[in-house]
Amino acid sequence: MADTTTSGLDKEQLRDLVADVLDLDVAEVTDDAHFVDDLDVDSLMALEITVRLEKEYGVRLAETELASITSLQSTYELLGHKLRETR
Amino acid sequence: MLKPLEGSWCLVLGASSGIGRAVALGLANEGVNIAGVHFDTAARAEEVEQLVVDLRGRGVEAHLFNANAAARATRERLIPELAELTGGTRSGGGIRILVHSLAFGTLVPFLPREGWEKQLTPRQLEMTLDVMAHSLVYWTQDLCAYGLLRTGSKVYALTSAGTSQHLPSYGPVSAAKSALESHVRQLACELATSGIAVNALRAGTTDTPALRRIPEHTGYIERAAENNPHGRLTRPEDVADAVALLSRTESSWLTGNTIGVDGAELHAAAGAWG
Repeated sequence: MADTTTSGLDKEQLRDLVADVLDLDVAEVTDDAHFVDDLDVDSLMALEITVRLEKEYGVRLAETELASITSLQSTYELLGHKLRETR
Repeated sequence: MLKPLEGSWCLVLGASSGIGRAVALGLANEGVNIAGVHFDTAARAEEVEQLVVDLRGRGVEAHLFNANAAARATRERLIPELAELTGGTRSGGGIRILVHSLAFGTLVPFLPREGWEKQLTPRQLEMTLDVMAHSLVYWTQDLCAYGLLRTGSKVYALTSAGTSQHLPSYGPVSAAKSALESHVRQLACELATSGIAVNALRAGTTDTPALRRIPEHTGYIERAAENNPHGRLTRPEDVADAVALLSRTESSWLTGNTIGVDGAELHAAAGAWG
């Protein structure tokens, strides 16, 4: 069931957040654009994404989980997983 | 003329750990109100909350902001708040002490090297310089524009021996510290007629979270402690003491320097004092 994997998480809202942090056009943040290789994200911007995600979604991300924040799709999956976990 | 610090405000950039944290606590002990910027994930939230409690427990006002100190948006948002908080344009208001203690950068060699997976990218080098050096200029510009730095104010930037001693991973940070010391000299000259002193503090090897992120830190810490003629590492509190001491004067004559706060570590011949 597709909707159970999202936990009510709105992918477009997440895309807007990432585009805002990275100061990019929303259209550039495709599902599979790699943050570092394609979008030129440095480690400070990666930290900024993490801090924003924690604030907006009320989750706490462990150091080991940060490694999976590599694209919108992977971030979406990680967040979906975290939100299900905290329910 | 010496002037008591009590009741004045200090802004610490990089306030949640290491030397920035120790400076905040040390100055709070002297009755200085603390505004701090730090950038941490939720994993450190309790620790930061406790720091605010500890600061306020010293009888001063304390406000910590979790934000990227290198971002323009952060300055745009926080500086008006700081103006409000510190009594901005009132006489006796504003920020008496600004401490730049931002330690966030890339720690990789410039060229491929055995044992290193990654090497330097342009983006990471630019980010490191921006955070650890250029942000001092931007904060100073904006605080001056708001009239928050004024006659008698002191600006300190934390530097290291990395400007003259190199480690395999430390190239980008060495570059940032060199730029930072140059920015300090330039700001000291430009702010002289405003009566604002700007100095770099060259802390010795100090056991902080930033040092522990340097891949070569194990072994290096022990050797540094042995090599320091005092027989121990620099403690964050040693630097806090220096900030408190140097800030007591109204004079801006002591300015434009890189001041060693390292127990003479830099000058000790390797291995001679252990």
